[in-house]
Amino acid sequence: MALDLTLTVENEIAKITLAGELDGSNAADFKTKIEEAAAAEPQKLVLYMNDLEFMASAGLRVLVFSKQKMGAGVDVYVVGADEMIIETIEKTGLHHSLIIQETFA
Amino acid sequence: MIETLTVPANLDSLKPIAEYVMKVAKMAGLDKKSMYKLRLAVDELATNIANYAYADDHDGKKDISLESNISQDSLIITITDNGIPFNPTNKIDAEMEVVQKPIEERKIGGLGIFLAFDGVDDFSYQRIEQQNINILTVYHHRD
Repeated sequence: MALDLTLTVENEIAKITLAGELDGSNAADFKTKIEEAAAAEPQKLVLYMNDLEFMASAGLRVLVFSKQKMGAGVDVYVVGADEMIIETIEKTGLHHSLIIQETFA
Repeated sequence: MIETLTVPANLDSLKPIAEYVMKVAKMAGLDKKSMYKLRLAVDELATNIANYAYADDHDGKKDISLESNISQDSLIITITDNGIPFNPTNKIDAEMEVVQKPIEERKIGGLGIFLAFDGVDDFSYQRIEQQNINILTVYHHRD
């Protein structure tokens, strides 16, 4: 699967943009990006998913990892995700711990 | 109508598998949502096979085979491998429990089987002649 990941950190906000398809073949790359973001010790982590077409459970596991890695004090935002991706997040109960928004101001 | 695909059991095969599932789902006239959920179900099972089905010293081919039967009222996808016995239906209860847990307390794993079951109308498993056979059925929800 093809997955493009970009990370920027400004004003203690880490932003990762995901484009393409996220599953077991490339979830390790996403995990590496989360680790890079965590190293910057941001106050917020924002995941832009506007161009993410597909997410399998391997991606969900990285979301769980991101929350645990960042620690309780860091909010993790899922922004602009497709309705099917949101449905997967909700079905697996992760929406209780992530902040799901259409846009991030 | 029957369509088949056989690919090596590795993570690089997830892409051709996804393309195949979307092709047969289109042929069967599934709506967008059903197509996504079916793709997710097959992706999860194929990922498990790629990661766990075949030991390094497995004798013979390490493949994943898919066969689709398209009829008036359903699409049935059968996923077959020759790996070690693995019955996903035995794992579903454990994964259902994971879903109830807060994120902070979760072990990082699982959920794939849960999503596979959730994504189709019927799911069955058989072990026949050294083969794991997973049968996924989606009844028609046409656009």
